[in-house]
Amino acid sequence: MGPPKKSKKDRFTGDKFGKKRRAEDEAFTQLVEDGDSMPSDGVTELDGVPVAASKNVETNDDGIMTDEYGAKDYRAQMELKPDHTNRPLWVAPNGHVFLESFSPVYKHAHDFLIAISEPVCRPEHIHEYKLTAYSLYAAVSVGLQTHDIIEYLKRLSKTSIPEGIIEFIKLCTLSYGKVKLVLKHNRYFIESPHPDILQKLLKDPVIQQCRLKREEGEGFIQGTLEGKAITQFGTKLPPGETAATTSATDNDPNAATAAGTAATTNPDGTPAVPEDITNFYDKIDNEEEDEDEANLKTVSFEVNQEKIEVIQKRCIEIEHPLLAEYDFRNDTHNPDINIDLKPAAVLRPYQEKSLRKMFGNGRARSGVIVLPCGAGKSLVGVTACCTVRKRALVLCNSGVSVEQWKQQFKMWSTADDSMICRFTSEAKDKPMGCGILVTTYSMITHTQKRSWEAEQTMRWLQEQEWGIMVLDEVHTIPAKMFRRVLTIVQSHCKLGLTATLLREDDKIADLNFLIGPKLYEANWLELQKKGYIARVQCAEVWCPMSPEFYREYLTTKTSKKMLLYVMNPSKFRSCQFLIKYHEKRGDKTIVFSDNVFALKHYAIKMNKPFIYGPTSQNERIQILQNFKFNQKVNTIFVSKVADTSFDLPEANVLIQISSHGGSRRQEAQRLGRILRAKKGAIAEEYNAFFYTLVSQDTMEMSYSRKRQRFLVNQGYSYKVITHLSGMDTDPDLMYKTREEQSQLLQQVLSASDLDCEDEKVPGEPGYRPSGGAASKRAGGLSSMSGGDDAIYYEQRRRNAGSVHPLFKKFRG
Amino acid sequence: MVNVMKGVFVECDPAMKQFLLHLDETLALGRKFIIQDLDENHLFISTDIVETLQARVDDLMDRISFPLHEKDP
Repeated sequence: MGPPKKSKKDRFTGDKFGKKRRAEDEAFTQLVEDGDSMPSDGVTELDGVPVAASKNVETNDDGIMTDEYGAKDYRAQMELKPDHTNRPLWVAPNGHVFLESFSPVYKHAHDFLIAISEPVCRPEHIHEYKLTAYSLYAAVSVGLQTHDIIEYLKRLSKTSIPEGIIEFIKLCTLSYGKVKLVLKHNRYFIESPHPDILQKLLKDPVIQQCRLKREEGEGFIQGTLEGKAITQFGTKLPPGETAATTSATDNDPNAATAAGTAATTNPDGTPAVPEDITNFYDKIDNEEEDEDEANLKTVSFEVNQEKIEVIQKRCIEIEHPLLAEYDFRNDTHNPDINIDLKPAAVLRPYQEKSLRKMFGNGRARSGVIVLPCGAGKSLVGVTACCTVRKRALVLCNSGVSVEQWKQQFKMWSTADDSMICRFTSEAKDKPMGCGILVTTYSMITHTQKRSWEAEQTMRWLQEQEWGIMVLDEVHTIPAKMFRRVLTIVQSHCKLGLTATLLREDDKIADLNFLIGPKLYEANWLELQKKGYIARVQCAEVWCPMSPEFYREYLTTKTSKKMLLYVMNPSKFRSCQFLIKYHEKRGDKTIVFSDNVFALKHYAIKMNKPFIYGPTSQNERIQILQNFKFNQKVNTIFVSKVADTSFDLPEANVLIQISSHGGSRRQEAQRLGRILRAKKGAIAEEYNAFFYTLVSQDTMEMSYSRKRQRFLVNQGYSYKVITHLSGMDTDPDLMYKTREEQSQLLQQVLSASDLDCEDEKVPGEPGYRPSGGAASKRAGGLSSMSGGDDAIYYEQRRRNAGSVHPLFKKFRG
Repeated sequence: MVNVMKGVFVECDPAMKQFLLHLDETLALGRKFIIQDLDENHLFISTDIVETLQARVDDLMDRISFPLHEKDP
């Protein structure tokens, strides 16, 4: 794993950013696209990433015999313990850890593994995790110590732990997390419980220069990390529930220990838990909670505020990355904002757990929280803001989600309209005096000339010191964009929220060092079992290509191929059939298509509303409102603008007719649209449906497989439907006859090259400003779409601005 | 004059038939091999091509499938 090469291409795509014209209001979806077709772009610099992070334990097992099925023989390195049946883990020398989810100590082991490693694959019975430099870094930053990690792994493992792994853990954890950058009373301190490490840092000439000495010959500032009350999130849980959760946590280890002591004499043959596991678990578990109580001796020295950048970089170079913590309780410089959670807002256990990781020792850590879509990420964000109670900045990636965040704030917290300020191209509230600013990434990083009003807001924004910055859908922002945000916004701590910490270009790991470590990742299947998210039946529907279409498919060039398999008449019929079927059941259906030509054709033919890039904000909201409340609008068609952050809690059926190549993330994000738990649903039954329509014998089959990998790793299984029964006999379906089909084929063949492409969203490489697209559309088949008027209107308005040079002159 | 040609009767779905016709027309296998196009689902092709043809169809299937579990790098 070497550093990625800087290429010309990178610089080129970087420029694209600057040229972005109509960026303000648009969904900034995916700059770095997934899929193999796209070159990896943008994220070039590796500074800000410690060297140890690039170490890879994967290659530790070179030279191990692999049999024909890919199984490896580790017997020489791992010795089986006599009581292995009672222990839940296998730790392989290549850093992969396998956990038996049916083990009685599963819960303990699972919590521990989540903290120290990355989940790879979590089906029902055996979970696979992987130890990486990043995950260990995250473990340290939430307070785990090197020897605890090794010791506990040893106890949980069925075998001895390979030497290589122990070394790797030591390597990755010993130097991490020992020094912290703390902001107290608006002065920056470097703090550490280990005086020797501070001495070492101070011997470094660069750091020496950054030290701020109040008086000559000053030694370390001695301090104690005093016991603080455990962070309480918002209002208390209803008494019954609190009691339940505490007693559960209290009893659980005890009960387990009891089981452990009784293990030897267990008559009914239930698997016994070795005592050392539970004892140690108690220890670690308590440690986490006691952290606040214990008075830790710390030493610190103050550093010059202007040199923070320098010192952070230097510390990374000498392998002692600074953990940034924000002591918000002692921050007297920034005014508190008056915001609290409403009593009605009750955190689910996993939400609380994730927040506990963030506010573990009474200070706020920066980091990323990974929760499936629909599992209540917004509530986590709102709660974090309410806990910090300083000015908060929320960044998301489209105008629609800005509105949704505002609603979330109003729903869960005591914040009212006067406190929440939206800052998008369409809605600019007065920022002065507000506590929470909600805006989009592109709005902040916009480089072109802004309106006067926006200019004012930006200036205000830059002058502020923000207590917390919440980054929604953090996986979508490339490092470059993120750096720009950081230069503009001064924020004490950063909370990244995402459902899919996943990118085809593997650059996601860099986020660990740009924002902070991953604090928590939820298990999809477990949330599903507990009914927090919908239980989804995933299905892949195979649609045979009609002979005429397949013929063309075989002979034409690539770009039109795609249009041919999307427009496959039997796919259209399947889609229509499924929509009809689910409308009869009273379900709400969303149909996704990346290809705009297909989107419009399907939607217009079936007479359903559709939303895509050029649809205006007002129209979007109107359509979404209708979808929510109007009994007659049960199906909408959307392009990929709706992939992320479109909150459609009512939808429970999703049909995918075209997609972006083999993007795993898109698949997961789309599934997320229907994951929100349904009211009155029974957790044991499927209550949501996710269909992917695939044209048989085409490349789509391969893409579809690729896309499913992520969800399969989360434990989902796909059902393949080769034939929808009842479809042939339904007389209402369109494109029944050969003639109709060949007419459709003619339409497809006469479509322009532009129609063959996926929709481009601003911010993506290859995006064309709307001007060009509008003129194209005027000649296209879609003048009846009605969306055109909105474009022209917008166009005219913008032109009006530039047509009056006189006006400009007067202004000077 | 009577020509006798040994052939194989092929039954397939309409899309696959199109694929075979396509191979035939583009001379992808070096020559024409379809003796008679019978109907939507049936073809009559020459015997000696069958092996190459099978390889070719396998190839197509490989291209449109993707292993769910990548091998370790």
